[in-house]
Amino acid sequence: MTLVPVTYKGGIYQHDIVVDLIDDLGGYIIQKHILAQEVVLQCFVPREDIELIREISRPLFGEVTDSPLVGTEIAIVSMSLEIHHLPHPSCDIAEYTRRLGAKTNMVSLARGPGKRIAGLNDEERDVINEHDIAVYLLGNFETCIEYKMPTLRRGIDVPIVLCGGPDIDVLKKIIDPPVEGYMGNVGRFMRRTKEADQLDKLDEIVAEITRVLEKKRDEIAKDPLSVSPARLMGLIREKIPEILDVTSPTPLTVQMAGLRVKLPYDTFAERLRHVEIEDGILLGDISEVLPSRMRDYILVRVLPFSETNTVI
Amino acid sequence: MLAVEYFEVECPEPLGAEYYKQIANDVLLDHNLLKVVNKLHIYIDPKIPVFIAVGILRKITTVVRVGDFTNVNPQEGKMTLVLSDETYLAPMLKIFWQRFGKEKVEQPDRFTVILYDVPAQPKEIEEIVVADPSESVHKDLIYAFRCIAPEGFRLRSEIFTGSKFIFVASENTLAEDISTLVAEKFALMGEVPP
Repeated sequence: MTLVPVTYKGGIYQHDIVVDLIDDLGGYIIQKHILAQEVVLQCFVPREDIELIREISRPLFGEVTDSPLVGTEIAIVSMSLEIHHLPHPSCDIAEYTRRLGAKTNMVSLARGPGKRIAGLNDEERDVINEHDIAVYLLGNFETCIEYKMPTLRRGIDVPIVLCGGPDIDVLKKIIDPPVEGYMGNVGRFMRRTKEADQLDKLDEIVAEITRVLEKKRDEIAKDPLSVSPARLMGLIREKIPEILDVTSPTPLTVQMAGLRVKLPYDTFAERLRHVEIEDGILLGDISEVLPSRMRDYILVRVLPFSETNTVI
Repeated sequence: MLAVEYFEVECPEPLGAEYYKQIANDVLLDHNLLKVVNKLHIYIDPKIPVFIAVGILRKITTVVRVGDFTNVNPQEGKMTLVLSDETYLAPMLKIFWQRFGKEKVEQPDRFTVILYDVPAQPKEIEEIVVADPSESVHKDLIYAFRCIAPEGFRLRSEIFTGSKFIFVASENTLAEDISTLVAEKFALMGEVPP
């Protein structure tokens, strides 16, 4: 059974039918938003059952769309929090990617701007590495990008999608060793992205992010995870009810190969390790429970089959 | 960009120049400064790196007077001022208070001010200067250029005289002979530096 990420949009009336259906089919709901009379569910459902969900939600005017970014956590790396980069383009890109289901975090560097003076500290590096993918938003000059990119990518081991002002061919030429994704003609700009051509550009960025993520997904599929992070999410919610009191919008953030649990590490790490998944297998047996560099959260990294010899 | 007589962005990277022209245009437009700039030449070299903006300002001769945004109606023993725009309401009230005293000035609502028994003719009231927009223009321009210049360029030198301005920024110490470069840029506009 392959689970595919989809977004369900529909009215609030009788939406629990859809929620129950997804549960019964063996799918997982990652995020549920209720906005006035509308419900948006971001979920993983079995590929063969999408038609069934469409069928059942039709009388409720529900809509099921593919959203490949659901269940991923993306770092949008902005060079600073100054007016030069915010709100355009950093927020525009982060917001647009979020609309398509991803959980985006904006990572703004303390000493990102400039050419010679640009740098990346260890905390920034670790925070970026906790994500599935990093989208670097750089400036308009190829000289600067070429000069500062080696510094900014030092120690980063997640795939990078690089957005910059020069054309895509120029970017490919100046970045050595190559990064996983490129997007040209998106440098610094000081206007809102609302025209059709600018929105097309945002779509292209999303397409590039999706391509890189698919590649990562394929790689994970070669050595499958011991347990699906989405399944762990439901389990943690059930076994550690304190998570329900967390006011953060996503107290449990699902990643491609892990999970961010927004509870203090010192208090909850041991309890989390002893959560039983099935037949006496504990969460600590098939995953690493690590302290996150983001506040005092917990980061759960699910180990692959080759390391645990178990798939649940 | 019609109001600006000369507007060029010069850069060894043609695409970068194009982007910065757009940025400069957007920022100046947002800050409502296009009408005060007559000529503008921006030179950026990311290799050095340096950012130079030189230009000529338009003279802002107009000052804002009470009559520009109010309608003065003289009545028996009092004068009613009906405002069409409340932007300059605060400075206007301040002037009235100083000149006539608080007891003679009343403001029943946002768009009305009543003056009681003031020793002035309606014509005189209309002629009172409330604000001079040219006072803050240099400050606004410096802020705008800080937005336009690449962010890392934090070492700056600014010279703003009456009608000419120079804004130089870099992330390294500015070269001693930067004035020759500035003079060259002024020459491109057919002007001489201040």
